[in-house]
Amino acid sequence: MDAVQDRTFEPKIVGFLCNWCTYAGADLAGVSRLQYPANVRVIRVMCSAAVDPVFVMKALLGGADGVFVGGCHLGDCHYTRGNYFTRRRVAMVKKLLEVIGLEPERLELEWISASEGARFAEAMRDFTQKIKALGPNPVKERKVS
Amino acid sequence: MTKCNEIVQDIVRSMLRAKLVDEVVAFGRGINESDIVPLFITDEKDAEKIVTISYYPCSLAKLVALYGDRNKKIGLVLRPCDARSLVELAKRQQVNLANIYSIGIECYGVVRAGSNSHQVYIFPDTVQMDGETKPLAEDVLAPNCRRCEYMVPTMTDVAVRLLPDGGCLVDANTEKGQAVLEAASIAVTDMPALDLTALKERAARWKEKDFGELKKMAAKDRLHYWLAQWEKCIKCYGCRNACPICYCKECYLEPEKQIVKNEALPPEALFHVGRLLHVGDSCTDCGQCEAACPMGIPVSKLYHMLYEELSPLFDYESGFDLATLPPVSTISDKDLTKTGVTLD
Ligand code: SF4
Ligand code: SF4
Ligand code: SF4
Repeated sequence: MDAVQDRTFEPKIVGFLCNWCTYAGADLAGVSRLQYPANVRVIRVMCSAAVDPVFVMKALLGGADGVFVGGCHLGDCHYTRGNYFTRRRVAMVKKLLEVIGLEPERLELEWISASEGARFAEAMRDFTQKIKALGPNPVKERKVS
Repeated sequence: MTKCNEIVQDIVRSMLRAKLVDEVVAFGRGINESDIVPLFITDEKDAEKIVTISYYPCSLAKLVALYGDRNKKIGLVLRPCDARSLVELAKRQQVNLANIYSIGIECYGVVRAGSNSHQVYIFPDTVQMDGETKPLAEDVLAPNCRRCEYMVPTMTDVAVRLLPDGGCLVDANTEKGQAVLEAASIAVTDMPALDLTALKERAARWKEKDFGELKKMAAKDRLHYWLAQWEKCIKCYGCRNACPICYCKECYLEPEKQIVKNEALPPEALFHVGRLLHVGDSCTDCGQCEAACPMGIPVSKLYHMLYEELSPLFDYESGFDLATLPPVSTISDKDLTKTGVTLD
């Protein structure tokens, strides 16, 4: 039964991608016709630091199986230091997930530049695989209004 | 136990008389003996109403942030957790600390919410309730107080130390504090060192109990524990309104923000998690949220549990150093030297 579930489980992943780096990296992956799983729903944001932790938690509590945040490499942020703030917030949300009983691995942060199309495709494959192994978000087992 | 009351009343009177402050905010008797209310005192005659009882119905730091005049000099009589909240509010520009003279009362815990005795004074090993002194039973204490290890007000201008015989010692932590003691003609006592070992042990034991139980659960059980707790919520906003760290004039949780669904009851889990995200890094474990909750949800347990995880991660101790900003609204020099996706 579990094995059947595993094979049919297609995780829903929300991806917040920064306009200047990771989104452009995703674009490059696309125009290069690189294959990666279609599980991620991309939301373009102007900076990874524009991802309010509340958005991440809204996605996860709303039933998303994983959240991916992509930003520029440190030092390359279009707004100088936005991604340093992102890193702190992601660290905080991961702790919060642990405390309330969700797997911190459901949230992933990566630095992917505009020229790293192949890395983007790989990150999507890896993360989707990781979430498949974790299974569906347990929040969905209980209907909270 | 009147002696400590008297000394604090004396300090307050002298502060007003010497015009060190324009008004004083403290707890005092309301319409009767068991009615403890926050007082805004401008006339030194009213100082006699002040009590230093082990019952703390709301955050005075928050009251000053909400209703205090930033340009007026304000005296504030508070307990260590509230004094820490005051520092956090100052970091968020909600109070003008330069104009505040804080008198901190040493604290071994306050009585839990809903307790029907308001005539209570709590000491390290004893409790005085309605005139009777008994050994301290820990279930008298508010749950957050059992986890507390900050008994001594080191973050206030003046520190008032309680003695088990009902007396107290007074010390100044700052220059402002010295001015207060001069005005009150109180000689600074050299504080004998206080042995907090037993109390720190109490805090560690209760943290282990409160958090350990939850940590030992399988993650999924913990999730369902909290989801079940939140299902009791009637969305009264009591926790947010009571919390000193929740200072926002425009709160995320209000319906017009459209982040949390408007009419759903119980509110979606994001109602709690949203506030947890905003407060968790700076929670002073003052317990006001939990005391305010009409549904018996262990609110401060959750917030304090996250705080205890975040504090070592960000090397942040909330409520002490005005110059250290809340960890998610700042980055450190150390951060700049690391290139990975984690902080370590
Ligand atoms: S969350 Fe609760 S315990 Fe923490 S500071 Fe706010 S009111 Fe106090
Ligand atoms: S819940 Fe958040 S937005 Fe609302 S008052 Fe508290 S800190 Fe401010
Ligand atoms: S005080 Fe309790 S019932 Fe009221 S909103 Fe907060 S958690 Fe819900």
